[in-house]
Amino acid sequence: MLEATGLMVFYENMLALNNVSIKCEDKQIVGVFGANSAGKSTLMYTLSGIMEDIQKKENMAGGERITVLGEIHYLGQDIMGLKPSKRARRGVILCPERRRIFPESSVLENLRIGGYLASPSQAKESLAYVFRIFPALKKIKKREGGFLSGGEQQMLAIGRALMAQPSLLLLDEPLLGLSPLIQVLLVRSIKEIRDERRISIIVTEQYARPVLPIVDYAFILENGAAVLEGTREELLHNPDVRSAYFGVEE
Amino acid sequence: MNIEQRRKERLDRGIKVRTDGLYALMSWRELSYLTLPRLVLIVGMLTLPFIMPSMYWQRVISIVCIYALLAMSFDFLAHFVGLVSLGGALFIGVGGYLAAIMNTYFGMPPLLTIPIATVVGAGICTLFLLPCLPLRGVYFAIVSLMYPLALARVIEALDILGGTDGIMGIESFGNRWVEQYFVILMVLLFLFGARRLVNLDIGLVFRAVKDNDQAVRASGMSITFYKAVAVFIASAMGCMGGASLVHIYMWSGISLLALDFSILPIAATVIGGAGTLVGPVLGCLILVPISELLRAFGTLRIVFYSLILVAFIVFRSEGIMVYGQRKYHQFERWVKI
Repeated sequence: MLEATGLMVFYENMLALNNVSIKCEDKQIVGVFGANSAGKSTLMYTLSGIMEDIQKKENMAGGERITVLGEIHYLGQDIMGLKPSKRARRGVILCPERRRIFPESSVLENLRIGGYLASPSQAKESLAYVFRIFPALKKIKKREGGFLSGGEQQMLAIGRALMAQPSLLLLDEPLLGLSPLIQVLLVRSIKEIRDERRISIIVTEQYARPVLPIVDYAFILENGAAVLEGTREELLHNPDVRSAYFGVEE
Repeated sequence: MNIEQRRKERLDRGIKVRTDGLYALMSWRELSYLTLPRLVLIVGMLTLPFIMPSMYWQRVISIVCIYALLAMSFDFLAHFVGLVSLGGALFIGVGGYLAAIMNTYFGMPPLLTIPIATVVGAGICTLFLLPCLPLRGVYFAIVSLMYPLALARVIEALDILGGTDGIMGIESFGNRWVEQYFVILMVLLFLFGARRLVNLDIGLVFRAVKDNDQAVRASGMSITFYKAVAVFIASAMGCMGGASLVHIYMWSGISLLALDFSILPIAATVIGGAGTLVGPVLGCLILVPISELLRAFGTLRIVFYSLILVAFIVFRSEGIMVYGQRKYHQFERWVKI
């Protein structure tokens, strides 16, 4: 479905992604794990095309120069250099880190903004679906986005991404700052979304343990390089990974 | 990768790194690297009156300096404290009218009126703007824009302070050299003063207020107090300009409260390079003479400014000084990946 090869991203002279190649097969959940500054968000920005936008803005303001190299093939087509809006139209939807919901719009409005690309019937169907998997949102659909709790905001962010009719959903740290209980709930919903909507999902996380049960394949980033990859079982049995990302003492 | 790829790398010059600390005193080369740009500016400003062809253009230099004071005050407020001020005309108006009143009604010489107008005027402007200082957002910009408009109408409607005719017969500096060197020295003084100020402890607090006022509050500091101090400093620059202006024109009227004084400094800041403090001065040195050259077109000048401003924002929003500093401090080279 999506195959990125040899991705390199420089922020001025700093190498943020070093020759990273990742792959996501059809209807797979792919995990990308790594510590802070490993390059997870940079990878997500590059895949979703937000990097093109950041690059352009920095260039205009004479700020940092960002160099992006490599290839991204999505559904057999090269999408490198495509604007983020164009990529979204093709079904690559990013659910950004720290949620970034629209704080002054209500829950319903947030979802409807997300459904901008969908046809009315698709939007109606997706809206019903979002309320079905996140029933908590239905009760608070009139409330302003800024007043929601962290967990509700994250549900809203995922819901908003779903409204855009993704075929590849990029979830950037969806469990950031959430309680273990909500984490479990969200992870279960992510798996449900994959099974019921038949889409591919790439999810990044620092701490792999809560997400690992649902991923089919995972990559581990360290200092901008993909140091390890494998199926869930392969990673589970790797002692280095166990101690570094699953918090298991050997 | 199969194909060889190259990337342009940007690095600090060695001399820039060597002159960062005390090691700048190592050699004449390092010393001159640091002092040369500053000397060019200082010597350039000081020789300006001599190289101007006529008295008319010498007068233009004085006006440039007054706009430069305003532009610096805008840059300081906007990029070091986070307050977007559209109140250049307020500062000029308050400073100018105060100096005019003191000079004509009480007979004080310019030597006294200018410093008093600077300090008292800055106090008055700060008091005017105090109510909107605790707020975040556009309120400061709107309020600072409305005051000069309101003051002009008050003076017009009540026919006080000379009404629409203005106050005439204000004492001049006496000598055009005194006049020019006074404003030029003031610009240099405020420029280097402000550059020093933003790196002092209080300057750090100012920048913190700009970045995150809630965190400043949480650190136990009153943002209203620090904003008030910053507004006082910025309006002092503006009032000093206004007071000098009435002594240059020997006249004070409601055109001191005109929108030009609010808008042109912003244009100069954008063109010169925001957040550098030198940039705005440079911007004024470019914009004001251009506007004098375009005097033939009358009010269409404003269209011209707007076009320059839009072009700079669209194509080069960094400004001349930021670009220049980068070229001076850094070099580029191609590297293989």
